[in-house]
Amino acid sequence: MARLVKTQVEMEGRYEERWTLVEEDVTPEYADGEELAVVGHPHTRVSAAARVTGGARFISDIDLPGMVHAAVLRSPHANARVASLDRAAAAALPGVRAVIGPGDVPERDGRPVLTDAPAYAGGAVAAVAADTPDQAERALEALAPGWEPLAFVVDLDEGLARQEFTEDPEETSRGDVDAALAGAAAVIEAEYRTPTQIQTPLEPHCAVAAWDAGGLTVWSSTQGIFAARDELARAFGLEPDDVRVVCEYMGGGFGGKQGCGPEGYMAAELARRAGRPVRLVYTRRDEHTTAGYRAPTVQTYRIGADADGKLVGVEGSAVIGVGVHGWVFPVLNPAEALYECAHVRSMVLPVKLNLGFSNAFRAPGVMEGTFGFEQALDELAEELGIDPLEIRLRNPAAIEQASGKPYTSKHLEACQRRVAELAGWKERDALRSDGRVRRGMGLASQIWWGGGGPPAHATVRLGKTARPTLVCGFQDIGTGTMTASAVVVAEALGVPVGHVRVQAGDTARSGYGPTSGGSMTLASVAPAVRTAAHDVRTQLLDLAADMFEIAASDLVLADGHVSSRDGTLRHEITEITSKLGNSSLVGHGSRGPNPDGMRVNTFGCQAAQIAVDTLTGAVTVEKVWAVHDVGRIVNPMGAMSQVTGGVLQAVGFALSEERVVDPTTGTVVNAGLEDYKVPTIADTPEIVCEFVDSPDPHLALGIKGLGEPPIIPTAAAIGNAFAHATGVRVRQAPFTPRRVLEALAG
Amino acid sequence: MQLRLTINDQRHELEVEPHRPLADVIRTDAALTGTKVACGEGTCGSCTVLVDGRAVLSCLTLAVACDGADVRTVEGEDELLGRLQAAFTAEDAFQCGFCTPGQLLSAVALLRANPRPSSAEIRAGMSGNLCRCGAYPAIERAVARAAGEAR
Repeated sequence: MARLVKTQVEMEGRYEERWTLVEEDVTPEYADGEELAVVGHPHTRVSAAARVTGGARFISDIDLPGMVHAAVLRSPHANARVASLDRAAAAALPGVRAVIGPGDVPERDGRPVLTDAPAYAGGAVAAVAADTPDQAERALEALAPGWEPLAFVVDLDEGLARQEFTEDPEETSRGDVDAALAGAAAVIEAEYRTPTQIQTPLEPHCAVAAWDAGGLTVWSSTQGIFAARDELARAFGLEPDDVRVVCEYMGGGFGGKQGCGPEGYMAAELARRAGRPVRLVYTRRDEHTTAGYRAPTVQTYRIGADADGKLVGVEGSAVIGVGVHGWVFPVLNPAEALYECAHVRSMVLPVKLNLGFSNAFRAPGVMEGTFGFEQALDELAEELGIDPLEIRLRNPAAIEQASGKPYTSKHLEACQRRVAELAGWKERDALRSDGRVRRGMGLASQIWWGGGGPPAHATVRLGKTARPTLVCGFQDIGTGTMTASAVVVAEALGVPVGHVRVQAGDTARSGYGPTSGGSMTLASVAPAVRTAAHDVRTQLLDLAADMFEIAASDLVLADGHVSSRDGTLRHEITEITSKLGNSSLVGHGSRGPNPDGMRVNTFGCQAAQIAVDTLTGAVTVEKVWAVHDVGRIVNPMGAMSQVTGGVLQAVGFALSEERVVDPTTGTVVNAGLEDYKVPTIADTPEIVCEFVDSPDPHLALGIKGLGEPPIIPTAAAIGNAFAHATGVRVRQAPFTPRRVLEALAG
Repeated sequence: MQLRLTINDQRHELEVEPHRPLADVIRTDAALTGTKVACGEGTCGSCTVLVDGRAVLSCLTLAVACDGADVRTVEGEDELLGRLQAAFTAEDAFQCGFCTPGQLLSAVALLRANPRPSSAEIRAGMSGNLCRCGAYPAIERAVARAAGEAR
């Protein structure tokens, strides 16, 4: 019998009590020491054939009969009022099907999608739909907006000086930091600066919207089909199931495509007015000006320890350039939670600026906070004459520091020791030299959440050909959730992974699945998938037991066969399923809550070896070693790819990625991939990756998330390696040749 | 303007405005959406196709400049392309897969010009194709694997 319980749910470190439906089915766990045939072994992607042949239809590829094309009028000014807009002229042009302006689109999160007071360059004012993209562009020109430019602030220091915040600055503290630091053997003070980093999915934000008698369908390049569905239903006054959101293949999100973006609202409103399907695709410039970013920060730390290197007090403040609005992410969480410390104070100041909204980018807040804190900790270690690895090992947090609650599992120290072993940490001084090219090695650690949780539902069907279909409400944004889920089904039913069909990314055909965010997708979904598949397995074995006159408990499923444990009986599974005719065995599963009173966190440590050319200021990351503690690894091949991707995005953050805004005009000067430098294959270090493959004893199937963790410590490790190589710190990312040469010149 | 193109051995006779990029004509007029447009300004390599055997950025190439040309896209049948597709799959050389068609066509051009590239040559030859998911180490392995499996 299902019941409603109140349980704590977590998303990117925010906890909230929520009613959750708990169904009776407890996840059938893998037995301790059970030899798993499929789970934990490497598998190529189930969607590979579609993705390498061009057969995968991404959102920007969707083409519907009668579909027309949208274009958006955006403000060129950092702050302005729209004095006039000639909608009639635009509407009169050939091919134009709809013109919308300020006030015409339902609000998103209480804010206008189109406005006559755009408060940043790139703010949307109006949108049109026309038969061809060219006609839509001409209609934008015909709108001939009259702009009244207004004063603006785009500089973070200036914004702080003006004390204009998106929400009130917040201070949190435990213990008595000032007294603790006054009694410390050593105290360091340091300021670190981090850049605006753009998610840069290669498929821009895009949506295709179509209305019919049944309601609204939106194909959305989104990380959350159900979040998008609920947003659109609220905005357009529809029942949730009158909105269908589809996202089968999408070209990357990295945090920046949560729910339904403004593009979905605009496409839906244009489609409603045009009476035709509408496709709206952001330009690359839009991606850099109005689609979100990792907010820039100025972090200051005061950290003290006793003579043995035991932390006694940590004080941190973070000034965050939020833009016009945005979530305030936990920049100081690493300072508060990574190590044991009784006296901690942190202050967060979210500064409002005339720049587009910031949003989540893989480990939002925590990655940039780790860049500052884990380097400041190295500065403290140096002050005390303690090895950076050693100071970390001397300050393990046995319980979660802010809440005082126990962790469900924690293997951070094992990660740190293993990374040191792999990287040859003890011999790292042998890398150093006085030549033109200086080499060095640094390391940094990581804490993140990622326990997943309810709700998540799955259905598995098995028909006559013994090729199961999994129906589940997640979307695979490239993280490999489809493949990992197929692995879980294949394990339960003893069929090849390639025989599992996965139907995901469509709100109309499945129960709820979680947003791909907070490293929670697989940890949420896999237990539901396992339960559903196990249900089918039980039914199948019962049929086999009946047919072969043997107890079901004496049968096993593997390699496409049902066999008796004593080996005397062996039949292909299809011998049973072929008799099903047009019937199917159907199993359902849902995700139960995580244990109350505990904290679920993921951990890891990385080391980086870099080379600094003291003549040119060029920094090369030569090698990165990564060891992460993320519970059970379902598909090691996909997991390695996640780590590689996280490391490379952090290499970009550390060395080359920075959005630059012209302070005189308030506009972004590098709004494209020519001048905003993401890493290429030529910038790629050798990456060595291992996992503490230890199932979490308190979580369903022992699975924790992996999306965020690998991006978190890399940039700090690079910074620490820079200091090791040169004896100098560059306290501002990215380490551009100019900053490097200035730092080396003292 | 009249435009004659052979795309993946299929002949197309099209009426095309002179300012339209080849990528748009491939995706819209020929309905081959495997070719992706990620930046539209020649900076990411996602739209890479082969024109008369040469890798070009189809978002910056005017379609009418290709009159009479032989165009190959990711949908084409080709022994080398097939070998690369298998190698990309085996090495997990993509995550979201949006850049993959462009990566594959650049790799075809690279291996045609240099069937046994060194690691440095692969990195140089593939450095015009961005992959934000960060599959680069696997892409390098996949190209090397496909080269090693040449008959």
